[in-house]
Amino acid sequence: MTHRRILYFVLFAATQLLQAFLFNNLTLSVWFNPLIYVAFVALLPLETPHGLVLLGGLAAGFAADWFMGGAGINTIATVFAAFVRPFLLALLFEKENIREGGIPSSERLGRWGFLRYLAVFVLLHHFVFFALEALSWARFGQTLLRVAVSGTAAVALTWLAARLFTSKLTVRV
Amino acid sequence: MYKLLEFIRSTYVVLLFVVIEAVAFRCYAHSSAYTEARLLARSNEVAGSVHGFFAGVKHYFELGRENRLLTARVAELQTLLSEYRSAETEARLDGYMDGNAHTQYELTTAAVVSNSINKQRNFIVLNRGLRDGVAPDMAVLSPDGAMVGYVVECSERYAVAISILNTSFRASGKIAGSDYFGSILWDGSDPYRVTMAELSKYAEPQVGDEVVSTGFSQYFPAEIPIGTIERVVLNEARTAYTVDVRLAVDVSGLGDVILVRNNDLHEVETLRASDKVKELNERP
Repeated sequence: MTHRRILYFVLFAATQLLQAFLFNNLTLSVWFNPLIYVAFVALLPLETPHGLVLLGGLAAGFAADWFMGGAGINTIATVFAAFVRPFLLALLFEKENIREGGIPSSERLGRWGFLRYLAVFVLLHHFVFFALEALSWARFGQTLLRVAVSGTAAVALTWLAARLFTSKLTVRV
Repeated sequence: MYKLLEFIRSTYVVLLFVVIEAVAFRCYAHSSAYTEARLLARSNEVAGSVHGFFAGVKHYFELGRENRLLTARVAELQTLLSEYRSAETEARLDGYMDGNAHTQYELTTAAVVSNSINKQRNFIVLNRGLRDGVAPDMAVLSPDGAMVGYVVECSERYAVAISILNTSFRASGKIAGSDYFGSILWDGSDPYRVTMAELSKYAEPQVGDEVVSTGFSQYFPAEIPIGTIERVVLNEARTAYTVDVRLAVDVSGLGDVILVRNNDLHEVETLRASDKVKELNERP
């Protein structure tokens, strides 16, 4: 159990550092801004109490804001994603399945199930972030393009992170 | 009492969610580009050295290209200098310089520590701060002298500049060789283009014309290159042009920058804030 906690701490630190020192400084394209720190919230164990997921989201969002110089935008998006996570899981999977707990991953939820969960979760988070950043309906198309490009990259990176992460842990409790 | 506790227990997550989001929304709603610059300057006090390390690694691989640019720039300036020399005898040039010990603009250099183009509000963090004499309102130019941004916040060791690729960036630009000006802004979609809005209908902008800074801005000296005109659109009321300008600078490839201090800024500001000017402004 403590082993798992330490690994979650490592996941939190690794995603934050990658975000701050690599992805925040990318100058590849205006559309490419994957927010991979959200992987920490996405991969929290299924049995984590709702309140704790919310606090996890708060920690991840606050840290990302601090590194990015954001005035709350990452916190708003991440806490929102953390809040809807249990409802999203309930919508996509059977109740008993979720209640059994474990780490969200291909092995635990099935390849397509896991991918679907990641896609909806990450895109929701990215949508809130980029919509708040633009704060304009006039450029809604541009916002959607940002969500699509950056979100897809973030889903792929989170999927990779999950592969690495679960290779060190058993996915069932 | 028990019922109240039970109610709170069953809804505490929703309450927590609402409270956190309310606080975060409040902070975000009251923020501006300046707030973000200040926050970024604060976080760079800690994270700046790591950013600096990575920027150094990236910089290393761009040294060749940068050197070629600099050599070209030196050659250009030397040509200019030789023209001046032939126009004036050296003695007269020296005498001219003696009479003008006060220069309006002072230049210094800095390296880019972190930089982005993938946000709506992009900032450039530089490795010079208050202890190096860098202060807010200094202009930031590329090594070949094109407009990049201006400093908005400084800590002891770092400075945060608002990039020309920031939707809150504003400067005034004009077509080189004419006096018609418009405001320069970025719409957040293309890292190589900015818009020059509200250009007078008499300006007759042509594709390929050079756009430079006006001298009105408190940040930029006059005649700093911004870019070249790529597309011209007359607005519906046929009163003004909106012009697409291809930037002279490639913000994504910045390694080193030039900082320009306007020594007269304080004097001008003091004059503007003087009682007489205020009195005139308040007159109906």
